[in-house]
Amino acid sequence: MPSPRPADPGVEELKRAREETGPVLRKGPGPAAWFDVRRRSLGHIAFSLNRFTGLGLVFYLYLHLAVLSLLLRGESAWSSFLGIATTPVFLGLDVLLIFGLLVHGLNGLRVAMVGSGFASNRQKALYRSLMTIGGILLLGAALHILGSG
Amino acid sequence: MAHTAPRAGAPKRSGSGSGAFRWTAVSGVALLVLLTIHMVANHFVIESVGGLRSYRQVIEYIGDPLILVVETLFLAVVTLHAMLGLRSVIFDFGLSDRAQRRVDRGLTALGVATVVYGLVLVGTLASRA
Repeated sequence: MPSPRPADPGVEELKRAREETGPVLRKGPGPAAWFDVRRRSLGHIAFSLNRFTGLGLVFYLYLHLAVLSLLLRGESAWSSFLGIATTPVFLGLDVLLIFGLLVHGLNGLRVAMVGSGFASNRQKALYRSLMTIGGILLLGAALHILGSG
Repeated sequence: MAHTAPRAGAPKRSGSGSGAFRWTAVSGVALLVLLTIHMVANHFVIESVGGLRSYRQVIEYIGDPLILVVETLFLAVVTLHAMLGLRSVIFDFGLSDRAQRRVDRGLTALGVATVVYGLVLVGTLASRA
Protein backbone atom coordinates (compact mmCIF):
# COMPACT_ATOMS: atom_id res chain seq x y z
CA MET A 1 0.00 0.00 0.00
CA PRO A 2 1.52 3.34 -1.02
CA SER A 3 2.37 5.68 1.81
CA PRO A 4 0.14 8.79 2.02
CA ARG A 5 1.61 11.83 0.32
CA PRO A 6 2.92 14.51 2.67
CA ALA A 7 0.42 17.31 3.31
CA ASP A 8 0.93 20.22 0.95
CA PRO A 9 0.87 23.50 2.92
CA GLY A 10 -0.52 25.22 -0.20
CA VAL A 11 -3.65 23.05 -0.08
CA GLU A 12 -4.55 24.29 3.40
CA GLU A 13 -3.98 27.86 2.25
CA LEU A 14 -6.21 27.26 -0.77
CA LYS A 15 -8.97 25.78 1.41
CA ARG A 16 -8.83 28.74 3.79
CA ALA A 17 -9.00 31.21 0.89
CA ARG A 18 -12.02 29.42 -0.58
CA GLU A 19 -13.91 29.69 2.69
CA GLU A 20 -13.25 33.42 3.04
CA THR A 21 -15.99 35.82 2.02
CA GLY A 22 -15.52 39.20 0.36
CA PRO A 23 -13.79 40.35 -2.82
CA VAL A 24 -11.80 37.66 -4.55
CA LEU A 25 -8.09 38.25 -5.03
CA ARG A 26 -6.71 37.63 -8.47
CA LYS A 27 -3.44 36.78 -10.09
CA GLY A 28 -1.76 39.74 -11.71
CA PRO A 29 -4.35 42.45 -11.06
CA GLY A 30 -4.31 45.50 -13.31
CA PRO A 31 -5.92 46.65 -16.54
CA ALA A 32 -3.17 45.09 -18.67
CA ALA A 33 -4.20 41.67 -17.36
CA TRP A 34 -7.79 42.19 -18.56
CA PHE A 35 -6.67 41.95 -22.18
CA ASP A 36 -4.35 38.99 -21.73
CA VAL A 37 -6.55 35.92 -22.19
CA ARG A 38 -3.70 33.53 -23.08
CA ARG A 39 -3.91 30.34 -21.02
CA ARG A 40 -6.37 32.03 -18.69
CA SER A 41 -9.15 30.30 -16.87
CA LEU A 42 -12.85 30.75 -17.53
CA GLY A 43 -12.92 32.82 -14.34
CA HIS A 44 -10.40 35.29 -15.71
CA ILE A 45 -12.32 35.67 -18.96
CA ALA A 46 -15.51 36.22 -16.94
CA PHE A 47 -13.71 38.84 -14.85
CA SER A 48 -12.45 40.68 -17.96
CA LEU A 49 -15.91 40.55 -19.54
CA ASN A 50 -17.38 42.05 -16.38
CA ARG A 51 -14.87 44.91 -16.45
CA PHE A 52 -15.46 45.72 -20.14
CA THR A 53 -19.25 45.47 -19.96
CA GLY A 54 -19.21 47.51 -16.73
CA LEU A 55 -17.24 50.33 -18.33
CA GLY A 56 -19.53 50.21 -21.37
CA LEU A 57 -22.60 50.44 -19.15
CA VAL A 58 -21.21 53.44 -17.23
CA PHE A 59 -20.66 55.16 -20.59
CA TYR A 60 -24.22 54.24 -21.55
CA LEU A 61 -25.60 55.63 -18.26
CA TYR A 62 -24.34 59.11 -19.11
CA LEU A 63 -25.32 58.77 -22.78
CA HIS A 64 -28.82 57.78 -21.62
CA LEU A 65 -29.07 60.83 -19.33
CA ALA A 66 -27.92 63.07 -22.19
CA VAL A 67 -30.53 61.56 -24.54
CA LEU A 68 -33.30 61.88 -21.93
CA SER A 69 -32.37 65.56 -21.57
CA LEU A 70 -33.92 66.02 -25.04
CA LEU A 71 -37.28 65.58 -23.32
CA LEU A 72 -36.69 68.92 -21.58
CA ARG A 73 -36.61 70.59 -25.01
CA GLY A 74 -40.11 69.42 -25.81
CA GLU A 75 -42.05 67.14 -28.09
CA SER A 76 -40.38 68.02 -31.40
CA ALA A 77 -36.86 67.32 -30.08
CA TRP A 78 -37.98 63.94 -28.71
CA SER A 79 -39.81 63.04 -31.93
CA SER A 80 -36.66 63.82 -33.95
CA PHE A 81 -34.67 61.52 -31.68
CA LEU A 82 -37.26 58.74 -32.05
CA GLY A 83 -36.87 59.02 -35.81
CA ILE A 84 -33.20 58.06 -35.42
CA ALA A 85 -33.61 55.62 -32.52
CA THR A 86 -36.05 53.44 -34.42
CA THR A 87 -33.70 52.78 -37.36
CA PRO A 88 -32.39 49.19 -37.67
CA VAL A 89 -28.84 50.27 -36.71
CA PHE A 90 -30.00 51.80 -33.43
CA LEU A 91 -32.28 48.86 -32.70
CA GLY A 92 -29.19 46.67 -33.17
CA LEU A 93 -27.37 48.82 -30.60
CA ASP A 94 -30.31 48.23 -28.21
CA VAL A 95 -29.67 44.49 -28.57
CA LEU A 96 -25.95 45.12 -27.85
CA LEU A 97 -26.97 47.03 -24.72
CA ILE A 98 -29.12 44.12 -23.55
CA PHE A 99 -26.19 41.75 -24.21
CA GLY A 100 -24.00 43.93 -21.96
CA LEU A 101 -26.67 44.13 -19.27
CA LEU A 102 -27.22 40.37 -19.26
CA VAL A 103 -23.52 39.45 -19.22
CA HIS A 104 -22.71 42.00 -16.52
CA GLY A 105 -25.84 41.34 -14.45
CA LEU A 106 -25.76 37.55 -14.49
CA ASN A 107 -21.98 37.28 -14.12
CA GLY A 108 -22.19 39.86 -11.31
CA LEU A 109 -24.80 37.69 -9.62
CA ARG A 110 -22.34 34.77 -9.80
CA VAL A 111 -19.53 36.89 -8.35
CA ALA A 112 -21.80 38.08 -5.51
CA MET A 113 -22.87 34.50 -4.76
CA VAL A 114 -19.33 33.10 -4.83
CA GLY A 115 -17.93 36.08 -2.89
CA SER A 116 -20.59 35.57 -0.23
CA GLY A 117 -19.64 31.93 0.17
CA PHE A 118 -22.50 30.37 -1.84
CA ALA A 119 -21.64 27.72 -4.41
CA SER A 120 -17.94 28.63 -4.28
CA ASN A 121 -17.04 25.13 -5.53
CA ARG A 122 -19.51 25.24 -8.41
CA GLN A 123 -18.70 28.60 -9.95
CA LYS A 124 -17.94 27.24 -13.43
CA ALA A 125 -21.24 25.38 -13.58
CA LEU A 126 -22.96 28.48 -12.20
CA TYR A 127 -21.32 30.66 -14.87
CA ARG A 128 -22.31 28.34 -17.70
CA SER A 129 -25.89 28.00 -16.41
CA LEU A 130 -26.35 31.76 -16.00
CA MET A 131 -24.85 32.49 -19.41
CA THR A 132 -27.20 29.93 -20.98
CA ILE A 133 -30.16 31.68 -19.32
CA GLY A 134 -28.71 35.00 -20.54
CA GLY A 135 -28.44 33.66 -24.09
CA ILE A 136 -32.08 32.61 -24.09
CA LEU A 137 -33.19 35.99 -22.69
CA LEU A 138 -31.05 37.83 -25.26
CA LEU A 139 -32.56 35.84 -28.10
CA GLY A 140 -36.08 36.64 -26.88
CA ALA A 141 -35.26 40.34 -26.45
CA ALA A 142 -33.56 40.54 -29.88
CA LEU A 143 -36.55 38.96 -31.59
CA HIS A 144 -38.89 41.37 -29.79
CA ILE A 145 -36.84 44.52 -30.55
CA LEU A 146 -35.79 43.73 -34.11
CA GLY A 147 -39.19 42.23 -34.88
CA SER A 148 -40.86 45.53 -33.98
CA GLY A 149 -38.80 47.46 -36.55
CA MET B 1 -13.18 36.57 -12.02
CA ALA B 2 -10.38 34.11 -11.45
CA HIS B 3 -10.65 32.61 -8.01
CA THR B 4 -7.11 31.93 -7.02
CA ALA B 5 -5.77 31.61 -3.54
CA PRO B 6 -3.98 34.61 -2.15
CA ARG B 7 -0.29 33.90 -2.54
CA ALA B 8 2.42 34.84 -0.13
CA GLY B 9 2.84 38.58 -0.36
CA ALA B 10 -0.55 39.09 -2.00
CA PRO B 11 -2.53 42.07 -0.71
CA LYS B 12 -4.89 41.26 2.13
CA ARG B 13 -8.54 42.22 2.01
CA SER B 14 -8.90 45.62 3.56
CA GLY B 15 -11.91 46.67 5.58
CA SER B 16 -12.97 49.32 3.04
CA GLY B 17 -12.42 46.90 0.12
CA SER B 18 -14.65 44.34 1.78
CA GLY B 19 -17.27 47.02 2.52
CA ALA B 20 -17.15 48.25 -1.09
CA PHE B 21 -17.57 44.66 -2.32
CA ARG B 22 -20.60 44.21 -0.06
CA TRP B 23 -22.21 47.45 -1.28
CA THR B 24 -21.47 46.55 -4.91
CA ALA B 25 -23.07 43.14 -4.42
CA VAL B 26 -26.13 44.50 -2.59
CA SER B 27 -26.69 47.32 -5.11
CA GLY B 28 -26.11 44.83 -7.95
CA VAL B 29 -28.78 42.45 -6.68
CA ALA B 30 -31.19 45.40 -6.18
CA LEU B 31 -30.40 46.50 -9.74
CA LEU B 32 -31.38 43.12 -11.15
CA VAL B 33 -34.91 43.82 -9.88
CA LEU B 34 -35.04 47.57 -10.64
CA LEU B 35 -33.45 47.23 -14.06
CA THR B 36 -35.86 44.47 -15.04
CA ILE B 37 -38.79 46.75 -14.09
CA HIS B 38 -37.18 49.69 -15.96
CA MET B 39 -36.47 47.71 -19.13
CA VAL B 40 -39.85 45.97 -19.26
CA ALA B 41 -41.76 49.20 -18.53
CA ASN B 42 -39.78 51.27 -21.03
CA HIS B 43 -39.11 48.86 -23.88
CA PHE B 44 -41.42 45.84 -23.71
CA VAL B 45 -44.85 47.23 -22.86
CA ILE B 46 -45.51 49.88 -25.50
CA GLU B 47 -46.57 48.67 -28.94
CA SER B 48 -44.22 50.75 -31.10
CA VAL B 49 -40.91 50.36 -32.94
CA GLY B 50 -38.29 49.41 -30.31
CA GLY B 51 -40.97 49.76 -27.62
CA LEU B 52 -40.05 53.44 -27.25
CA ARG B 53 -42.56 55.91 -25.79
CA SER B 54 -43.71 59.09 -27.47
CA TYR B 55 -43.24 62.41 -25.63
CA ARG B 56 -46.83 62.36 -24.29
CA GLN B 57 -46.46 58.73 -23.17
CA VAL B 58 -43.20 59.55 -21.32
CA ILE B 59 -44.82 62.49 -19.47
CA GLU B 60 -47.84 60.36 -18.59
CA TYR B 61 -45.57 57.50 -17.42
CA ILE B 62 -43.31 59.62 -15.22
CA GLY B 63 -46.33 61.47 -13.79
CA ASP B 64 -47.42 58.31 -11.97
CA PRO B 65 -46.19 58.69 -8.34
CA LEU B 66 -45.32 54.99 -8.01
CA ILE B 67 -43.26 55.06 -11.22
CA LEU B 68 -41.57 58.26 -10.04
CA VAL B 69 -40.48 56.52 -6.82
CA VAL B 70 -39.27 53.39 -8.65
CA GLU B 71 -37.34 55.38 -11.27
CA THR B 72 -35.77 57.64 -8.60
CA LEU B 73 -34.70 54.59 -6.60
CA PHE B 74 -33.31 53.06 -9.80
CA LEU B 75 -31.32 56.22 -10.52
CA ALA B 76 -29.81 56.26 -7.01
CA VAL B 77 -28.93 52.55 -6.99
CA VAL B 78 -27.51 52.46 -10.54
CA THR B 79 -25.34 55.51 -9.77
CA LEU B 80 -24.05 53.97 -6.53
CA HIS B 81 -23.24 50.72 -8.37
CA ALA B 82 -21.56 52.57 -11.25
CA MET B 83 -19.38 54.66 -8.93
CA LEU B 84 -18.33 51.59 -6.91
CA GLY B 85 -17.51 49.78 -10.15
CA LEU B 86 -15.47 52.70 -11.48
CA ARG B 87 -13.66 52.88 -8.11
CA SER B 88 -12.77 49.23 -8.38
CA VAL B 89 -11.48 49.66 -11.95
CA ILE B 90 -9.43 52.76 -11.06
CA PHE B 91 -7.97 51.06 -7.99
CA ASP B 92 -6.74 48.28 -10.30
CA PHE B 93 -4.07 50.76 -11.42
CA GLY B 94 -2.39 50.34 -8.03
CA LEU B 95 -2.79 53.88 -6.66
CA SER B 96 -1.24 55.22 -3.47
CA ASP B 97 -3.45 55.70 -0.39
CA ARG B 98 -3.53 59.43 -1.01
CA ALA B 99 -4.56 59.01 -4.64
CA GLN B 100 -7.24 56.50 -3.58
CA ARG B 101 -8.72 59.05 -1.17
CA ARG B 102 -8.83 61.61 -3.98
CA VAL B 103 -10.55 59.12 -6.26
CA ASP B 104 -13.08 58.40 -3.51
CA ARG B 105 -13.86 62.10 -3.13
CA GLY B 106 -14.07 62.64 -6.91
CA LEU B 107 -16.40 59.69 -7.45
CA THR B 108 -18.60 60.73 -4.53
CA ALA B 109 -18.94 64.20 -6.09
CA LEU B 110 -19.66 62.72 -9.53
CA GLY B 111 -22.25 60.34 -8.07
CA VAL B 112 -24.02 63.12 -6.16
CA ALA B 113 -24.01 65.37 -9.26
CA THR B 114 -25.44 62.53 -11.37
CA VAL B 115 -28.27 61.82 -8.93
CA VAL B 116 -29.07 65.54 -8.52
CA TYR B 117 -29.16 66.05 -12.32
CA GLY B 118 -31.35 62.95 -12.73
CA LEU B 119 -33.73 64.18 -10.02
CA VAL B 120 -34.02 67.59 -11.69
CA LEU B 121 -34.71 65.87 -15.02
CA VAL B 122 -37.31 63.48 -13.64
CA GLY B 123 -38.90 66.18 -11.43
CA THR B 124 -39.20 68.63 -14.35
CA LEU B 125 -40.82 66.00 -16.55
CA ALA B 126 -43.18 64.89 -13.76
CA SER B 127 -44.29 68.51 -13.27
CA ARG B 128 -45.42 68.61 -16.92
CA ALA B 129 -47.87 65.72 -16.41
